[in-house]
Amino acid sequence: MSEAESTPVEEPASEETESPEATPEVEQSTPIVSGLALEHGEGRYRLTLPPDLDWIDLWPQLQLYLVGQEHLWSETLPVDCACGQRLLDQSQLQQLAEALSEHQLRLDKIITERRQTAIAAATLGYSVQQGVLPPLLAKETDPDPEPTTNPLYLKTTLRSGMEIHHDASVIIVGDVNAGASIIAAGDIIVWGRLRGIAHAGAKGHLGARIMTLEMAATQLRIADLLARTPDPPNPPYPEVAYATDQGIQIAPAYTWGRALAVSKAP
Amino acid sequence: MGRTIVITSGKGGVGKTTASANIGVALAKLGRSVVLIDADFGLRNLDLLLGLENRVVYTAIDVLTGQCRLDQALVRDKRLNKLVLLPAAQSRNKDAITPEQMRQLASALSKHYDYVLIDCPAGIEAGFRNAIAPAQEALVVTTPEIAAVRDADRVIGLLEAYRIRNNHLILNRLRPAMVAANDMMSVEDVQEILSIPLIGIVPEDEKVIVSTNKGEPLVLAESPSLAGQAFMNIARRLEGEKVEFLDLEAVSGGLFSRIRRLFGAKG
Repeated sequence: MSEAESTPVEEPASEETESPEATPEVEQSTPIVSGLALEHGEGRYRLTLPPDLDWIDLWPQLQLYLVGQEHLWSETLPVDCACGQRLLDQSQLQQLAEALSEHQLRLDKIITERRQTAIAAATLGYSVQQGVLPPLLAKETDPDPEPTTNPLYLKTTLRSGMEIHHDASVIIVGDVNAGASIIAAGDIIVWGRLRGIAHAGAKGHLGARIMTLEMAATQLRIADLLARTPDPPNPPYPEVAYATDQGIQIAPAYTWGRALAVSKAP
Repeated sequence: MGRTIVITSGKGGVGKTTASANIGVALAKLGRSVVLIDADFGLRNLDLLLGLENRVVYTAIDVLTGQCRLDQALVRDKRLNKLVLLPAAQSRNKDAITPEQMRQLASALSKHYDYVLIDCPAGIEAGFRNAIAPAQEALVVTTPEIAAVRDADRVIGLLEAYRIRNNHLILNRLRPAMVAANDMMSVEDVQEILSIPLIGIVPEDEKVIVSTNKGEPLVLAESPSLAGQAFMNIARRLEGEKVEFLDLEAVSGGLFSRIRRLFGAKG
């Protein structure tokens, strides 16, 4: 709307920002990942299932990852599935194998800490590894808290009710609809329309940015800052949201470089 | 093998059951054999809308518990002999049946019928998962309201997660005059959010209430109302016919909107 280089964003009163319920995700030092991960290493994939999510809630998430990342592999690859403490019965293992095979992945090995899961997997003819899993890649021996994880790159529409947690940057090629949310330790890039909630730098990194082709987010969060996008929204052009001393600012992508220099943002 | 299609919405009251009844009857009128499955256990309505309530003897639960054979539970429509209904049990709840049992019922029926239409209950809990379990495709019903569209978005996401990817949108209860006055989301607005192909636009129609009370689906009328025609068109599109969408603006016919149309403005 305005000709200004950066549009200050309506921000809730500062005392509200300070209150604990207004800054929900910042205090934690634990990883923000939901625990679901699909990692590549030496000709195979490792699928890590989060321990605390019900199967019924885990299933849509898993599908989202598979559909969104399908473009990353071209040949059928074997998958090690790390289930940790999760109990899986035979029909769940079969469902999992079916879902993977639809995306050119072959369930090969089950790594579990539960005896019953191991028995179910062995009955179905998968190789089984019991006990705590060794790291797949050397990087995991590095206890550096700085996100060394790869960005999460998903080619899909994020629909209402879908939530992405990732310990690094998140790139979505597609729309993020209202009711969906992305919580990333790094930057968030949406090549599409951002209508849901985006929380960049969720572990406290103020230099994180939110970039999108159309900024119509329900709410923007960077580290412990919180903002709403202007209502009515700016006409759709690419914009960048970044943190300043005055809170979160939004600038059109094409003037953002200058805006950044003026505001001396981190 | 017939096509198994679930009619769903997420939000309640947007017209799932009305759409199920009318599309089922319309397909039967086109000469297809159709079985309608009421998956709304504990809150069944489909029999009422079809005017078949007093003919229900057995329900899906009786089939599953072995009280009767599947063909005994099917209620044949009194007007169209190509249409049958598999009623839900009114005395039970959603946990009375499992997705696996639902799959068995639907696959047994799809051997004998061209279409197996499943009327899904509102919500995304057990009843929803039961209803979508056997489906290969889905008709997602929504109204041009923000809450209904949000819920439809969620439901489309869940359908895709359960690997039902052949999904079509029915936009129900559209009021063209309100859209023209910018007081209601337009077809384009809804499509922009949901981004799945549209298979029907049904205008708001008071006759739906009358037809529901009488148990006479709209499409059965001698000269169907606009909403009835819209449902008929959906059935023909399901059959693969290319049918133009009804020109609702022309009918709602405010002078202003007509002039706007003359000048090619979008309403």
